[in-house]
Amino acid sequence: MDFSTIKILITDDSVLARKKLKDYLASLGCQHIYEVSDGQQAIDSYKINKPDLVFLDIIMPVKDGITVVNEILEFDPKARVVMASSVGTQSYLKEALKAGAIDFLQKPLDNELVKKVVLNAIGGQK
Amino acid sequence: MYTQFFGNYLLSKGLVTSEQMVEAIRYTKTVHLKLGMLAIHAGYMTSGEVEQVHILQTRISKPFGELAVAEGFLTPEQVTELLSAQKPGFLLLGQALIERGYISTNQFESVLSAYQSEFEITDNDFSEDQTHRIDTLIQDFYYSNRSENSAYYLNYITLLFNNLIRFIGEDFTPFKASAISAYPSNYCVSQVIKGSFSAYTAIDMDRDTFITFASRYAGENFSEFDEYVKASVEDFLNLHNGLFAVNMSNDHSIDLTLNPPIHENNCIIAPSAFLSCIPVSFSFGTINFLISNLE
Repeated sequence: MDFSTIKILITDDSVLARKKLKDYLASLGCQHIYEVSDGQQAIDSYKINKPDLVFLDIIMPVKDGITVVNEILEFDPKARVVMASSVGTQSYLKEALKAGAIDFLQKPLDNELVKKVVLNAIGGQK
Repeated sequence: MYTQFFGNYLLSKGLVTSEQMVEAIRYTKTVHLKLGMLAIHAGYMTSGEVEQVHILQTRISKPFGELAVAEGFLTPEQVTELLSAQKPGFLLLGQALIERGYISTNQFESVLSAYQSEFEITDNDFSEDQTHRIDTLIQDFYYSNRSENSAYYLNYITLLFNNLIRFIGEDFTPFKASAISAYPSNYCVSQVIKGSFSAYTAIDMDRDTFITFASRYAGENFSEFDEYVKASVEDFLNLHNGLFAVNMSNDHSIDLTLNPPIHENNCIIAPSAFLSCIPVSFSFGTINFLISNLE
């Protein structure tokens, strides 16, 4: 599977969480990885870079993840957004899926699940 | 969890002081577990027999196992079994306390036996019954009837200890909680939980402990206090509180939200309600966990 062409946006206020995810994606062969640290930056980056897949944290300063997924999907209804959060409560889960997120990953992230999500996104690309 | 509370048990029995316990926990970093401790734990030798072999070793330069076999205290098979057996952390702590001269081998043997029979639990047994016993154990140390949310508070503390074991390491002893009105922070990360269990939570420690704590959580070897170190401790607290929120959602249908974690270094923390301060001593330093009910 060719991971080199897919464009991925990582949104997390934790520099460590971004680094861990970025390092793993790079180890898969992903070459186009963008990273931002708050919700507004995520919206701005999405509009500029048009990524194929967005990993989005929920608890963030400036704009929370649920607000961001709404705004990204308003801009691009075909956007593929995956929530990645430590707060996988029933209500957040429902809100995220209702807003249009395609998946919800509970932190700490399981690399196998991350890979699965990326593979699905690559499938959706074709 | 059994291992972690052994130190607490020794404190509650007045066998050692908090200062001695903290010092012994730090000392565990340099201790290598001896065969004699494993033999006492397995019930193969008494403390008196172990002492006897130690005295022999001052005259005869031979390994403990060899002398114990020669004296008829152990069989060669038992020596092999002990050397390959799992080495519980509380044995290391016990040995550190003995080597520092805070308790005798005999005292250790007695208190270990009392602890095992009182709680009848092992680290390898995670049955439902075991979970109940751990709850009871934690309840003995941390439970209070201060509010109707006490049961959730107990869940929170239990999860905290489990997360410390899971993400930081098993080599810690939690100390008894104290209620305080204000806390002067050092290197501190805090986070507010909002909802029907509203709480201020924080984790505070000195600089070097902060760096090592962050290193263990991230699986890295940090040496400087930089943005990755700060993010690592933030992530631990956020993850712990997040998992608590998930449990509350799944088990009690209670929805909680979290504020982003923030740093509160070198300031006075004084929420409207009292702060419960739980010191947790690791071999690399002591962390203070703070929680205050914000109802």
